[in-house]
Amino acid sequence: MLVLFETAAGYAIFKVLDESKLQEVDSLWKEFETPEKANKVVKLKHFEKFQDTTEALAAATALVEGKIGKSLKKVLKKVVAKEAHEQLAISDAKLGGAIKDKLSLNCVHSPAVAELMRGIRKQMEGLISGLPPKEMSAMALGLAHSLSRYKLKFSPDKVDTMIVQAISLLDDLDKELNNYIMRCREWYGWHFPELGKIVTDNLAYCKAVRKIGDRTNVATSDLSDILPEEIEAEVKLAAEISMGTEVSEEDIGNIMHLCDQVVEITEYRSQLYDYLKNRMMAIAPNLTVMVGELVGARLISHAGSLLNLAKHPSSTVQILGAEKALFRALKTRKDTPKYGLIYHASLVGQTTAKNKGKISRMLAAKAALAIRYDALGEDTNAEMGIENRAKLEARLRHLEEKGIRRISGTGKALAMADKYQHKSDVRVYDPSGDSTIPTTSKKRKFEEVEETTEPVTPVVKAKKVKKEPETEEVETVAETEEPPKKKKKKKDKKAEVAEEPMEQEQEVEEPTEKKKKKKKKKVKEEEDE
Amino acid sequence: MRPGFSPRGDRGGGRGRGGFRGGRGGGAGRGFGDRGERGGFRGGRGGGFQSPGRGGGRGTPRGRGGRGGRGGFGGGRKVLVEPHRHEGVFICRGKEDALVTKNMVMGDSVYGEKRISVEEGETKIEYRAWNPFRSKLAAAILGGVDQIHIKPGAKVMYLGAASGTTVSHVSDIVGPDGLVYAVEFSHRSGRDLLNVAKKRTNIIPIIEDARHPHKYRMLVGMVDVIFADVAQPDQTRIVALNAHNFLKNGGHFVISIKANCIDSTAAPEAVFASEVKKMSSENMKPQEQLTLEPYERDHAVVVGIYRPPPKQKK
Repeated sequence: MLVLFETAAGYAIFKVLDESKLQEVDSLWKEFETPEKANKVVKLKHFEKFQDTTEALAAATALVEGKIGKSLKKVLKKVVAKEAHEQLAISDAKLGGAIKDKLSLNCVHSPAVAELMRGIRKQMEGLISGLPPKEMSAMALGLAHSLSRYKLKFSPDKVDTMIVQAISLLDDLDKELNNYIMRCREWYGWHFPELGKIVTDNLAYCKAVRKIGDRTNVATSDLSDILPEEIEAEVKLAAEISMGTEVSEEDIGNIMHLCDQVVEITEYRSQLYDYLKNRMMAIAPNLTVMVGELVGARLISHAGSLLNLAKHPSSTVQILGAEKALFRALKTRKDTPKYGLIYHASLVGQTTAKNKGKISRMLAAKAALAIRYDALGEDTNAEMGIENRAKLEARLRHLEEKGIRRISGTGKALAMADKYQHKSDVRVYDPSGDSTIPTTSKKRKFEEVEETTEPVTPVVKAKKVKKEPETEEVETVAETEEPPKKKKKKKDKKAEVAEEPMEQEQEVEEPTEKKKKKKKKKVKEEEDE
Repeated sequence: MRPGFSPRGDRGGGRGRGGFRGGRGGGAGRGFGDRGERGGFRGGRGGGFQSPGRGGGRGTPRGRGGRGGRGGFGGGRKVLVEPHRHEGVFICRGKEDALVTKNMVMGDSVYGEKRISVEEGETKIEYRAWNPFRSKLAAAILGGVDQIHIKPGAKVMYLGAASGTTVSHVSDIVGPDGLVYAVEFSHRSGRDLLNVAKKRTNIIPIIEDARHPHKYRMLVGMVDVIFADVAQPDQTRIVALNAHNFLKNGGHFVISIKANCIDSTAAPEAVFASEVKKMSSENMKPQEQLTLEPYERDHAVVVGIYRPPPKQKK
């Protein structure tokens, strides 16, 4: 009887030397206690090693499904060629059936076979010579990893580590580039300082320096492809009257090397940016559509991975990047920031300052949905992102329209929106205009004090005092009249101003009026007397 | 042998450790010193803002949390690490005692747990804290199980590996000479398990259903111990199938039983008893049983031997 034993390194075919031992299933384990004893029961007939990991992976997947893989077919064909009459012991009944169908080889699976397999597995190292155990375990590890990745449909172009690394590299490059350019300007500025002031663009400066070299060559060199004409003319002019020092060939050589570096790095930076854009579109298309590649990449990098970012609620996505301000505000109980990294998204950038907060919140909400779709969803299309972005843009337009309409609203709308103020309006009939007889006699004054207190008290609106001879009363009247603010609604002036007895009444009224002055805006004094 | 370190004595510490749960919840605003470390000890858990990548957010995700960990023992406080009765497990004694394992990958925190660095002459050794509320094996050890059979150099088959949190500790215990075959069926958890296995080369990840051990027979050799934490109603049958295929004669098994999972209507003791009976019928002899109070409710751990060698009659 032959035994088919699958290992991570390859297929092994054993021949059972002593079939009688298989009859005693329970004591079969004794036969496999030591490698020597095991070798007496079974012998390795053939070992088919896997050529590479792809072959091993194919074999493993076939085994999981219970099918015959290519390498297994090859091995079995060899067996069939030699010993077609022998039975084949296998561990999987389904596989046995398949083998029987395809290669017409009799397969056996029984408890005895299971015991046999146990024994072989235990003594695997001793039975399969020419395979050190370290290699076997290494192969098993590698095969397990590739099989698991295959199962999880692991695809290398969906790895977000690339994004994190690329954006960090982009920032590093920018810093380095800036340093180098500053150094280049400063260094070359010793020789030709005017060039630095004339050519403001950094890349153009470096390219120009590269071409010019020593400033004596300016007249002969052609800078038309680097600089626009006027600037080129200026440069040529400045070179003749330059106040820089002379430098040797070696020095110029070094500066030119530096310029080479700058140009190279700038080129690489644009390449890297393109790469980042491609990766972002591949990994998180919806997020890219919503906030843009750079902001999306920064968000992913800040959270650590796309899956981590997906776990954050939308309010966190809104202020990701403003942690210092957030916790400071929380500790001192002030207002928390309204936006973090999301501030640099185009949707937020193109709104007015008033609406930035609103848009940032709305954008964060939709972006959080897009992130979750990208991180955890199955298909990778940007439909959802495009839809959401359109919705947001419509809402943005609506917001701005509303703000515009507000300014030119109708008077009614404006009035209705005003703050509520209690207006108590008590009018009493003033009979002073009834009588045409002038009431200027002093005697009358006294009587009239009692009579006219009531009609006089409702004088609420303080208006300008017209002609009061008495100074005291004028002052006091003025006092009482100034603080109360004037209102459009008029009150009786005459009653206040004309009569002398009014003066005394005014005195009486002062303290009461002063008491009444509580309301800030309006002057209406209520009759609490 | 070492009376002071008997696990029964540890139960006192265990009660103190009951504060973990509270600590985890109420750490709001507790200062942001240990960034990203969601340890089970004291707070360090500001707001809801835990992003483990924050330490290495800008740039390489240098493993979660970076090098912040001095345990919940405050920065730079002196702690003493001594071996536990079980080989490969250690106890860290300081203001609070903790169960720790030796970190195989220095500087790496698998699920945000606290790390403790100890200098031994010239070499630095790092230990990782083991949370008994998250790991059934740690709960069993702290509960005082007699033997876990997982020791340095052992080959362990771990059924129900989930995201690899306890698997990483088992990997620490068995060390580089041992092997851990981690079987997990869920794809989501499988992804995390794969990440853990990337760093630790003694973990072999298997994303398969444990009910069909013949499907992964190509990857597995004979093992010494099977640890099962699958939470399935037919878990005894699953363990038995795997044992028949891969567990050596005289090998041991450690099964964690969740009473609710097997039968939610029956009493937990009845459930445990029925499971033990099922085991005995499959040539698996249970040797000890232990409940996981106070860390888990209605959970038990059964340790036993498979195909015990026949007793030599004199």
